[in-house]
Amino acid sequence: MGLLSIIRKIKRKEKEMRILMVGLDNSGKTTIVLKINGEDTSVISPTLGFNIKTITYDKYTLNIWDVGGQRTIRSYWRNYFEQTDGLVWVVDSSDLRRLDDCKMELDNLLKEERLSGASLLIFANKQDIKGALTPAEIAKVLNLEAMDKTRHWKIVGCSAYTGEGLLEGFDWLVQDIASRIYVP
Amino acid sequence: MEDEAQHPSNPTPDQTLDDPTIHQKHASMLERLSNLHQTRLQNSLTRKSDSHSSNPSFESTQSFLSRFSDSKRSIESQLAGCRLTTATTDPNSLKSQLEAVAISIAELEKLVAENSYFLPSYEVRSSLKSISDLKQTLENLNSELIPKKKFAFRNKAAKKDQSSAAKGAAIVKPDPHLINKTSFEVRDSPGFRNKEGQVLVKDFKGLEVGEFALSDLNSCEVKLMGCARALFVHRLQNCRVYAGPILGSILIEEVEGCVFVLASHQIRIHHAKGSDFYLRVRSRPIIEDCSRVRFAPYCLCYKGIEEDLRESSLNEEMGNWANVDDFRWLRAVQSPNWSILPENERVGTIEISNSETGIEES
Repeated sequence: MGLLSIIRKIKRKEKEMRILMVGLDNSGKTTIVLKINGEDTSVISPTLGFNIKTITYDKYTLNIWDVGGQRTIRSYWRNYFEQTDGLVWVVDSSDLRRLDDCKMELDNLLKEERLSGASLLIFANKQDIKGALTPAEIAKVLNLEAMDKTRHWKIVGCSAYTGEGLLEGFDWLVQDIASRIYVP
Repeated sequence: MEDEAQHPSNPTPDQTLDDPTIHQKHASMLERLSNLHQTRLQNSLTRKSDSHSSNPSFESTQSFLSRFSDSKRSIESQLAGCRLTTATTDPNSLKSQLEAVAISIAELEKLVAENSYFLPSYEVRSSLKSISDLKQTLENLNSELIPKKKFAFRNKAAKKDQSSAAKGAAIVKPDPHLINKTSFEVRDSPGFRNKEGQVLVKDFKGLEVGEFALSDLNSCEVKLMGCARALFVHRLQNCRVYAGPILGSILIEEVEGCVFVLASHQIRIHHAKGSDFYLRVRSRPIIEDCSRVRFAPYCLCYKGIEEDLRESSLNEEMGNWANVDDFRWLRAVQSPNWSILPENERVGTIEISNSETGIEES
């Protein structure tokens, strides 16, 4: 009760959403966040640690946590699970060799109880690269259909390089979260 | 207590009326305090009897200090022992020695925690400081040993690779259980795979190239001209790889004894050993689980490279080739895993052309 309900009330008032971006290294998480915020994406170093971006989206304030995906720091992802409303899993659709790695890490993440209520958006990124798998193919490889029926999820093809698909994905995510926690 | 002191000096009519309630409150507070004291005493008694066998009790600072300094001295000599035997013992026994030291330090920490309730705060602080120093020394020792640990680990991995290589070409196919599970076969990216002792040439000019892969090559020379969007490099031994600009990112995993001349927006290098990288990067290159890797600036030349570099916004040298981040070494001091390649050991400008004999992509 107590504190948690107060936090919920404050959140509702300010219409805040907490969004966690994760995925393997080199999948384009930071580029997506910067692109959607209209920032320069030409010089981005691999993320050592994490970035937080606060973005106003429609009438909501999104707190986006972009956490580095290098193997060494994946074990720290758990530190960011608390209070997550939306989970964005980013896939490098052109990295065919590491798709099983990608599936394994996603499966582990979805077992996490603290994320069980979070809406899940899967970005099949790098669609602009010739030879990249389509979102439908990524969905098959990740076996998304087999996911827990209670989970709200959607897969969207995108290119952080051109910006294509990013708004479609975030529109769905924000609407889905809003319909869950900001019921009028 | 404060209530009592304040009220008589500053009585208001309300409070005088409430006086009996205040008294009641006061009494119950005193009772709570004495209960608390009682429990504390009891706890310390139980603690004493609990730890009686291993840690004889002493509520005296003096005896704590002598016990603490004994343990500390023994840990220090253990640590010194580890350092001395580093050269002679095999990594496994050294590892268990270090683990033993870690346990001793943890015990010492517990000792301080158990006795902290009666120790003067100065003693607690200085004991904790000594413990953190010991931990630091242990960590330093551990990190000195890391190359050895990694070496053993990779050796194992290499053995596994060989056994799976023996099974035939199956290794480049996607994970078999993945196919079974999803009944969906992932196609391969274009690239060079499973070659030994060959010159491999590919000109991307005029082609729309997405990702390109180099995997399982041994003693090959790879020349890639023109622009591509992404490059994946996996399991290369004793190879030389020269490539034109990559507009997206390059991912390199499990390479040994190689020379790479690469330009890209992002470069990630995992599990590389004894290799040299001549890079031009727009962002900071990163390494993870690497050892003996060295870096120098990009030095490739072929007909039309200036234009290709400009097209990929890589025409400008930003000096990032030397700004390497080691994800296994998150400290201010230089990582022992990488270094800058001394100028007198660098290769000169490398010239490649597509008129050379070589094998086209298969």
